[in-house]
Amino acid sequence: MLRFKDYAYGNKQKRFMPNILELRDLSRTYKLGDEVLNALDHVSLTVEKGQFIAIIGPSGSGKSTLANIIGGLDKPNNGTVQIDGQDLSKVRDNKLSTYRNQHIGFVFQSFNLQPHNTALENVMLPLVFSKLKRSERKKRAKECLEAVGLGERLNHKPDQLSGGQRQRVAIARALANNPSIIIADEPTGNLDSAKGAEIMDLLKSLSKQGITLIVITHDMNVAKQAQRVLEMRDGKLTERRG
Amino acid sequence: MRFSDYILISLQNIWRQKLRSALTIFAVVIGATSVTIMLALVTGAKGFFTSQFEANGVLQQVVVSPKADITNYDEAQHGGGGNCDSCVKLTDIVANKIEALPHATGLARVLTSGSVEAIKLGDKKLTVNQVKGYDTNGVITRTMVAGRDLDGNDKTGVITVSSDYADKLGFKSNYGSLVGKKVDLITRNWYTGIGADIPKPQMQPGANNEPNNKSTVLSATVVGVSDSNSDSQVVRAPLDWVHGMNMNQMWQPDEAYNQAAQEKCQRRTPGPCNVEQKLVLVSQDMVERNGYDSFVVKADATSNTAGLVTEIKKLGVGAADAQSYIQSQIQIFNIVGLVLGGIGGIALLVAAIGVINTMVMAILERTREIGVMRACGAKRSTVRALFTFEASLLGFLGGIVGIAVGYGLTRIANVFINKQLASNSFQVHNIIALPLWLIVTVIAATTVIGFFAGLYPASRAARLNPVDALRYE
Ligand SMILES: Nc1ncnc2c1ncn2[C@@H]1O[C@H](COP(=O)(O)OP(=O)(O)OP(=O)(O)O)[C@@H](O)[C@H]1O
Ligand SMILES: [Mg+2]
Repeated sequence: MLRFKDYAYGNKQKRFMPNILELRDLSRTYKLGDEVLNALDHVSLTVEKGQFIAIIGPSGSGKSTLANIIGGLDKPNNGTVQIDGQDLSKVRDNKLSTYRNQHIGFVFQSFNLQPHNTALENVMLPLVFSKLKRSERKKRAKECLEAVGLGERLNHKPDQLSGGQRQRVAIARALANNPSIIIADEPTGNLDSAKGAEIMDLLKSLSKQGITLIVITHDMNVAKQAQRVLEMRDGKLTERRG
Repeated sequence: MRFSDYILISLQNIWRQKLRSALTIFAVVIGATSVTIMLALVTGAKGFFTSQFEANGVLQQVVVSPKADITNYDEAQHGGGGNCDSCVKLTDIVANKIEALPHATGLARVLTSGSVEAIKLGDKKLTVNQVKGYDTNGVITRTMVAGRDLDGNDKTGVITVSSDYADKLGFKSNYGSLVGKKVDLITRNWYTGIGADIPKPQMQPGANNEPNNKSTVLSATVVGVSDSNSDSQVVRAPLDWVHGMNMNQMWQPDEAYNQAAQEKCQRRTPGPCNVEQKLVLVSQDMVERNGYDSFVVKADATSNTAGLVTEIKKLGVGAADAQSYIQSQIQIFNIVGLVLGGIGGIALLVAAIGVINTMVMAILERTREIGVMRACGAKRSTVRALFTFEASLLGFLGGIVGIAVGYGLTRIANVFINKQLASNSFQVHNIIALPLWLIVTVIAATTVIGFFAGLYPASRAARLNPVDALRYE
């Protein structure tokens, strides 16, 4: 978990909130035959702890690529990713995995629940890779499911749940290990607007509790709820509203 | 992740694809069963034959026979008698030479006699095939169920009998009472050995000489009852006594005396002179003529018997150890075992391919799930361990079921073999056993096969890029 002495101070003049995330000159390229594709082109970004930011942009602009790098699923070709004072672009896979486990919660557009496991088992998954005792895992997973309003659906399998409920399970799973950042890549993309609004309310309530929230979306209605909106275009990131 | 997590997750995944897992495990079961039966059969047979020999320290012995071209122990033991072209007489000189060889710690000369026809106690009379005599110096020992084995102080007049005889003489489950009893050994007719009463022929013309066609009764004290074994119509006695039984005693004219008497007579009365011929009882030592039947040599260690055989053979006599005899006896089991083992080996190879196939399929199906696990913090090594564990578990389960099936089949096989052994009056049964080491070995082997079969699919799973895995449709 975060320790105060590790906090980096950004924008000292304005506020005294520590920066949880500092991206500097990030580049991520894909080689496709002879062509080189710049999925991320010198991206820099600073996010304060507890902020809720939205990243918008057209399809293929590099939003998911950025989210994956922040989440430690991918590594940049160039630049640094400072999270909690630690440079992720240098660490090895083992440490990156532990980082994902301890600091990041992912929420995906297509929910990505384990289809054969119950809601409870799905939420327990990140806890399995932590050092928690089995009884504590269960207790914690229950708490998380209750927090997203699914206390009555512990033993339902994903195909016995509605889309909105599935995304709640996914959010509960993201919450399980008390993450400092939740990265949601199009969390409402597969839901109708009413269910999408409910999911956004849930995510916002988490942000209010101090979790840093990064939401990627096509939907301006979603984006406008964020404290900051950034736009991705051809791998370049610009601040739209801060 | 805890070890119990690996078990739980792997079992869940195996259970998820019931049919496919069952078929994969089935292939392992076939291999494991064949290998189990092979090992059980070969070790059972080896154990059986070895136990038949081990009891009397026979494994440490080398049998020497006069036949130079002897190849196996059994032949060497029974190929006695010095009347063949390539035979070398087993004399005391040969015995001394053998005893002087390195690794030879003792030697017993063996002599059998066929001159005893029956053993008699009270009104019970039983057939005897042979009396076996040997140096009672501890090289040849018997397991006694009552009384004592023959020892160095015994010369004549004592025997040991097998428990079979004791049973038939009416001492079943009461062998102790037979010990110390005097029994009669009844010889065949024309017996000329020690203790024989051979009538002196009448040399006068016209004398009616009774032929020696009557048997002699030799009195013997039973000092011990030995554990029964297959050659039951044998009575054991000290070498000296059997040596004596094999003597050939006969009346012969005393040539020197008769010659002198003749001359003396002729000097006194010219013309034909009819002197009474003097006869003496001479005894011909048949051992001196034919040598011993065989020698039993004790080596200092079981592992040195083969070398000792080679050394003894250099003296021109035949020699064999029990080891090679056991080997030849279990040859048939080895062949059956080899065939089963071959089938088992091929089945296990096919099973390994099955496990690889199953795991590759599972990884394709679960690519997205692997991505999710990685996103939730699973390390590459965790993913690798998980899939290797799952493959090992398939092998392990196959091994367990294979042992169970193998156990059932060996039980059935034992029923038939027991019948066969009983009809050959062996007092052993259930010779095909599944010792713990065999069970552990088979299960460990199938688990290891599963482990190795899982390595490649698991490393594929571990190498998956999490971002790609999460996008996989
Ligand atoms: N594994 C890959 N190999 C090659 N090119 C890739 C790969 N992954 C992404 N790209 C390319 O990188 C660019 C950025 O992709 P990314 O998935 O980040 O876009 P996105 O902004 O999330 O789009 P969308 O809104 O459709 O999800 C795209 O042009 C894509 O084709
Ligand atoms: Mg995307």
